[in-house]
Amino acid sequence: MTPDYYLILAAVLFTIGAVGVLVRRNAIVVFMCVELMLNAANLTLVTFARINGSLDGQIMAFFVMVVAAAEVVIGLAIIMSIFRSRRSASVDDANLLKY
Amino acid sequence: MNDIQLPAIDYAALLPMLIVFGAACVGILVEAFAPRGWRFVIQVSLTIGGLVAGLVAIIVNRDLEITTIGGAVTVDGPGLFLQGAIIILGIVSLGLIAERRLERGGPFVAEAAHAANSDGDKRQEREPGATEVFPLTLFAIAGMMLFCVSGDLLTMFVALEVFSLPLYLLCGLARRRRLISQEAALKYFLLGAFASAFFLYGVALLYGYAGTVSLTGIREGVLQSEQSGILLAAGLALLAIGLLFKAAAVPFHVWTPDVYQGAPTPVTALMAACTKAAAFGGLLRVFNVAFETTAWDWQPVLATVAILTMVVGSILAVAQTDIKRLLAYSSVANAGYLLVGVVSLNGAVGSSLFYLIAYGFSVLGAFAMVTLVRDSEGEATHLSRWAGLGKGSPLFSALFTFLMLGFAGIPLTSGFTSKFALFSSAWDSDQSVLVIVGVLSSVVLAFPYLKVVVLLWLNPPGEETPTVSVPSMLTRAVIFAGVAVTFVLGVAPSFLLDIVADAGPFLAK
Amino acid sequence: MSLSQWVPLVVLFTLATLFALFSVTIAPYIGPRRYNKAKLEAYECGIEPTPTPPGGSRFPVKFYLTAMLFIIFDIEIVFLYPWAVAFDSLGMFGFVEMLLFIVTVFVAYTYVWRRGGLDWD
Repeated sequence: MTPDYYLILAAVLFTIGAVGVLVRRNAIVVFMCVELMLNAANLTLVTFARINGSLDGQIMAFFVMVVAAAEVVIGLAIIMSIFRSRRSASVDDANLLKY
Repeated sequence: MNDIQLPAIDYAALLPMLIVFGAACVGILVEAFAPRGWRFVIQVSLTIGGLVAGLVAIIVNRDLEITTIGGAVTVDGPGLFLQGAIIILGIVSLGLIAERRLERGGPFVAEAAHAANSDGDKRQEREPGATEVFPLTLFAIAGMMLFCVSGDLLTMFVALEVFSLPLYLLCGLARRRRLISQEAALKYFLLGAFASAFFLYGVALLYGYAGTVSLTGIREGVLQSEQSGILLAAGLALLAIGLLFKAAAVPFHVWTPDVYQGAPTPVTALMAACTKAAAFGGLLRVFNVAFETTAWDWQPVLATVAILTMVVGSILAVAQTDIKRLLAYSSVANAGYLLVGVVSLNGAVGSSLFYLIAYGFSVLGAFAMVTLVRDSEGEATHLSRWAGLGKGSPLFSALFTFLMLGFAGIPLTSGFTSKFALFSSAWDSDQSVLVIVGVLSSVVLAFPYLKVVVLLWLNPPGEETPTVSVPSMLTRAVIFAGVAVTFVLGVAPSFLLDIVADAGPFLAK
Repeated sequence: MSLSQWVPLVVLFTLATLFALFSVTIAPYIGPRRYNKAKLEAYECGIEPTPTPPGGSRFPVKFYLTAMLFIIFDIEIVFLYPWAVAFDSLGMFGFVEMLLFIVTVFVAYTYVWRRGGLDWD
């Protein structure tokens, strides 16, 4: 099995995530799609580490996981505070700021 | 198993960042252990002390040129200059963050955990604001400093998140209009996370292309890689999306007006001055170091983005009715001018650095003055409320007029000298089309600024003209710094131009 | 491939068995006894379920807080494992660096602890 399949899988996951961010309405789901994109990038990194025969890509995946965890916490905190104020996590309801 | 080579670490080169990160960690301990009443005083002195110590370390390091920790950090002239610029602008914006006289308890909410408009929220209205903002600011500034000297894309990604995450939180901590503030935080966060995912996927593709993520490694990989050029093109494009988002370039600018308007004004000022400097520091380094040799491929694309940014930013600024949104679109247009500097590569690094300092001080002064115009609801940012302020508050209006003229690029202000330096160096780098568009768009952009000036002096006051509050020394110092630097760099820019010329090019080996 | 390679495994297995037997035997004698309804149920974990209104409802916000704190402290292990694997070749340098890393995590931990993030009620 060639590693190319993993790259294609990662590209598909990344695209699903990107489309999900654009079409979904719930902030939590949007955020999950962003996480999917990050994990697609991780998969790409690990696959290229295998292709290139170096460990760098795997180490980078670790760093990305930690950063993603920190991002999850910040994101959930923000979404939770807005949910508690508005009783809704829909990004369409967040419409006070517009021209 | 004894074949692991430990990387050489030059602690002197890292010292400025270590000091600021260390001060931030101590700040968290202060939050944990210091009694409530003392926290504000301790945090303010700790934050200013940490930043000043970091600045001193940068000045000591001024001639350093070194790549350290296995290529993760590259300290060079432009990197040190950008670090110094970010720290200085950070110290100045700290004056706004620590201001507690304009509003009882300061501009930040006391307990962000209370839901907006709940009973708990009403009870905490008069309590002193959260002091966590100071460590958060320090983390953001330290992340920006690291971002400017990153030697590889992974460090850059981590630094990007280190300065973004505190900013997301700071955006949501306003004392007044909390729903709008939280909404700004949500928008900034979702779009910022989206952009950083693009950045990361770009890093992954470039890693596949060059076999390394170090900027110099990519520079060499471009010449000898056997991988498909699609990886390079796609990787560079995705990477650029992540960077251009932070720089607020069109079409990745949509968050800017909403976030600038919704965030507490001191945080908006911090973002407009420091984040801009960091984002362009990163852009300049990536394009000058890693992709200089492929310039023919990306220059037309980036030039198009620059033109779009200048045109869209300046035209939309004309239509704004809120001063914070107006300044936001003006910051988008200014991002366009700075992109001209990025497209011009090494020829315009120095003038871009100069521009970042000049713009940073002017915008800090402008946002500092925005915090002064208040009514019972807090800041009155709608432009119609500003009509006729010149009659009641001539000093305020005169200073604001000066800053607006500075933004418009009138001679004797830094707006003129910085645009002149930037455009002339871009012209010398054969970017004449960009320069022409830049000059035309800055003419368009002068209109909204002059509209504000006319509004201040010539329009009759409305029924409820807000008052211009008297701030403490902190905000006064910020306004003074903004106005003074705008003036000094306008009449005697040569000393700073000498410094940026001394900074030299980015270290690319 | 000699049998002596397996000695550490046998020792570990013995120790594990002894520890398990010891724990099970000693627990009824020295452990505190606090009975509640949940402990008498068929599949008990010993913690009474948080009451939710009939028909289902949102969970209290405390669960989110705990989950967030768990994520952030849990993920740090990702750096500890590679370091532990390469401990011998990293030597003192790696040890000091890892101590510094743990200290910074601990700074965040003290903040959470002092500000009541770990209190359930």
